[in-house]
Amino acid sequence: MVWKKSDDPPAQAHHPEPSPAAAPRPAAPAPAPVANPGSSVSSEPPRRSDRATIGASIFIKGDLSGEEDLIIEGRVEGKVDLKQNNVTVGKNGKVKADVFGKVVTIEGDVVGNVFAREQAILRQSGGIQGNIQAPRVILEDGSRFKGSIDMEAPKDSGGANRDRDHRTEPNRAEANRVEASGVKASI
Amino acid sequence: MGWFSSRGSSPRKEQPGRAQAVAEPDVHRSLALSALFDEIRGRKVQVLDLGSAVGSNVEFLSQFGCKLYIEDLYAALSTRKPSGEGELAGPEFFAEFLAVPDETRFDVVFAWDLFNYLHRKELIHFAKQLRHHCNPGARVLALMSILKTMPAQPYRFKIQDEQHLIYEPRTGSERPSPRYAPAEMTDTFKGFRVDRSFLLRHGIQEFLLAKD
Repeated sequence: MVWKKSDDPPAQAHHPEPSPAAAPRPAAPAPAPVANPGSSVSSEPPRRSDRATIGASIFIKGDLSGEEDLIIEGRVEGKVDLKQNNVTVGKNGKVKADVFGKVVTIEGDVVGNVFAREQAILRQSGGIQGNIQAPRVILEDGSRFKGSIDMEAPKDSGGANRDRDHRTEPNRAEANRVEASGVKASI
Repeated sequence: MGWFSSRGSSPRKEQPGRAQAVAEPDVHRSLALSALFDEIRGRKVQVLDLGSAVGSNVEFLSQFGCKLYIEDLYAALSTRKPSGEGELAGPEFFAEFLAVPDETRFDVVFAWDLFNYLHRKELIHFAKQLRHHCNPGARVLALMSILKTMPAQPYRFKIQDEQHLIYEPRTGSERPSPRYAPAEMTDTFKGFRVDRSFLLRHGIQEFLLAKD
């Protein structure tokens, strides 16, 4: 499965057999601790470091929003709106959309504008045809860029996006998953 | 246009038989650059860089809080559909190349050494397009070769500091230099005047053109 959602269900879901209520269960080794170490034995929200991946065979047409980091290796057309999180367009990623993020790293191709609250990074393998708005911009030599870069520091937390028409921030209680509204995906 | 390999256009003397090798980057003092930064300091300016995207330049210019446009003129010229030998880029090409919003006005244009690679007629077309998108008093930094030959492709320029430029060659091959005289610059680049001019020892004349 290429679209990996890191907020796995609570541990009980992996152990459907009834367990004695009084006997505390010894800590069993988690089956996949690396991908999501914080969620296997607790109902706490996933850590901020959780991230989702759109795999190379995925095509999404629509808007993406949510509150976890995102890696795009597939194709996305529409809008990527993760203002509080890091967005990476991987080497195989092809994005035709405006991309909003905290730190936005481009290793693939983006046709659209990039709005980063903290930093935008265009790697050597990457290309952007569009405008970048971020307080700090790093362009690696050999990268392809056509457009404008506005490096004025944002005046407020939403500074990099202040001229944009945003949708309402997602509710915190619903914030632990990447939402794909109006998404059409084909594999 | 012929390609030559026997004479160097850089301050280094090329060794025979090594003309095709890409030379190491050189650092040169730039009097026009320092004059330019003196003028824009403290102002919020819009900058057009006609060279390729260079990370260190972006980082350097970030201290000025400017809005930077990067439009690689040489890459655009190189990839345009050739319609015949000696075919020149016309006004349509430059209009398409500089397809920024009509209200966009630049205060600074880094033309680097690219004007050396434009025919006189192309310079006239480009100047007309650029003039429309420049504020009055806007400065254009142009580095013109005064030697007989120059690199077959433009240098990649990196701003080392406010007074120094790194010349990074892309090729060891050379071609004849047009050697535009200052008077020719003002004739072809109509609407701009030569504000400052500096003749440098390594065969480059730096121009700061100002829009009237």
